[in-house]
Amino acid sequence: MAMSFEWPLQPNVDTRQKQLAAWCSLVLSFCRLHKQSSMTVMEAQESPLFNNVKLQRKLPVESIQIVLEELRKKGNLEWLDKSKSSFLIMWRRPEEWGKLIYQWVSRSGQNNSVFTLYELTNGEDTEDEEFHGLDEATLLRALQALQQEHKAEIITVSDGRGVKFF
Amino acid sequence: MHRRGVGAGAIAKKKLAENLRLASRPRDTEFLQLPAKYKERGTVLAEDQLAQMSKQLDMFKTNLEEFASKHKQEIRKNPEFRVQFQDMCATIGVDPLASGKGFWSEMLGVGDFYYELGVQIIEVCLALKHRNGGLITLEELHQQVLKGRGKFAQDVSQDDLIRAIKKLKALGTGFGIIPVGGTYLIQSVPAELNMDHTVVLQLAEKNGYVTVSEIKASLKWETERARQVLEHLLKEGLAWLDLQAPGEAHYWLPALFTDLYSQEITAEEAREALP
Repeated sequence: MAMSFEWPLQPNVDTRQKQLAAWCSLVLSFCRLHKQSSMTVMEAQESPLFNNVKLQRKLPVESIQIVLEELRKKGNLEWLDKSKSSFLIMWRRPEEWGKLIYQWVSRSGQNNSVFTLYELTNGEDTEDEEFHGLDEATLLRALQALQQEHKAEIITVSDGRGVKFF
Repeated sequence: MHRRGVGAGAIAKKKLAENLRLASRPRDTEFLQLPAKYKERGTVLAEDQLAQMSKQLDMFKTNLEEFASKHKQEIRKNPEFRVQFQDMCATIGVDPLASGKGFWSEMLGVGDFYYELGVQIIEVCLALKHRNGGLITLEELHQQVLKGRGKFAQDVSQDDLIRAIKKLKALGTGFGIIPVGGTYLIQSVPAELNMDHTVVLQLAEKNGYVTVSEIKASLKWETERARQVLEHLLKEGLAWLDLQAPGEAHYWLPALFTDLYSQEITAEEAREALP
């Protein structure tokens, strides 16, 4: 059983599943905490996320890619370029964000209202909401998910984009 | 205990009936003599003894019932009392957990207590299996069981856990108890662990990991034997492979982590750290 010395993904298949799950969870927590919504693979390699200086352990790039692919499959990651050098990371999937936003809209009786993207994430009214401060890329995908469900429509407004909720 | 024919008089009647039945078989002449014995030799004496036995049995039954009502609460609430009670039973050759029916479990509720505890133990082990491969220290099991029982439940001691686990073992559920460095590892998944595996687990207890060199140095084994044991532990999901450790591969055992962690931090910190 020849294993590359650089390959610390566990040889036991069941254990490897647990390992991958643990890494995915760690990546999402890390990005949520540091409010990072996008990263390049190079950055990731050197960040404390995959390079633990104190423990003297780092996850090699092949394994990092496996972790990232796992996150993509789960809907938490989207590649931003064809060469897979940078990615969008969403600790909540777009559908989940969409649901939260729509719930707020309904709760505050604002169906059939129009918002600019900025209002949604930075307006006073949403200060107490979880999606307050959400980055635009993730927000757009959340709204696109709602659009697919015919609950919203992304429109153009004076100086950018906005959304109408149904 | 309220079966038919518990009294001494009924026992005597039963015996007579059986003898009469046997006596009606023409071939067994010895048995023909027995009923005659009864009639000829001291029938009165036998009846006396039987009457005495009957009275004693009744008293015994009353005492048992009194004992049960007096101590039932104590048994459920007090772990120390349970230990002493179990020791006492062992002295007179009684196993209160031997069967689900009968005086001990029904009247004292001892069986219920350990049965419920067994179920809780299985729940904890199942919940943590993904993390430690089915191996857990007695301490961690104890903490988790106490957490699961909540603030108002009865206190449970490590002695209670061991007894419950022994019962689970006897039921063939795949549970095992492995002594390591002053405590025990509880095995809840029927991974095949022989003496070699167990002794390596014990070696790993110090640092939470073990290496081929360490095994060879401490146990004086050949390389191949050490490798086979470690491969097996990996295969059973009990060990994780660390190829980035300085020098040689380290084999980590998550089951031992909480034990290690608790050695380095204070009780207060431990309580705060638990999810």
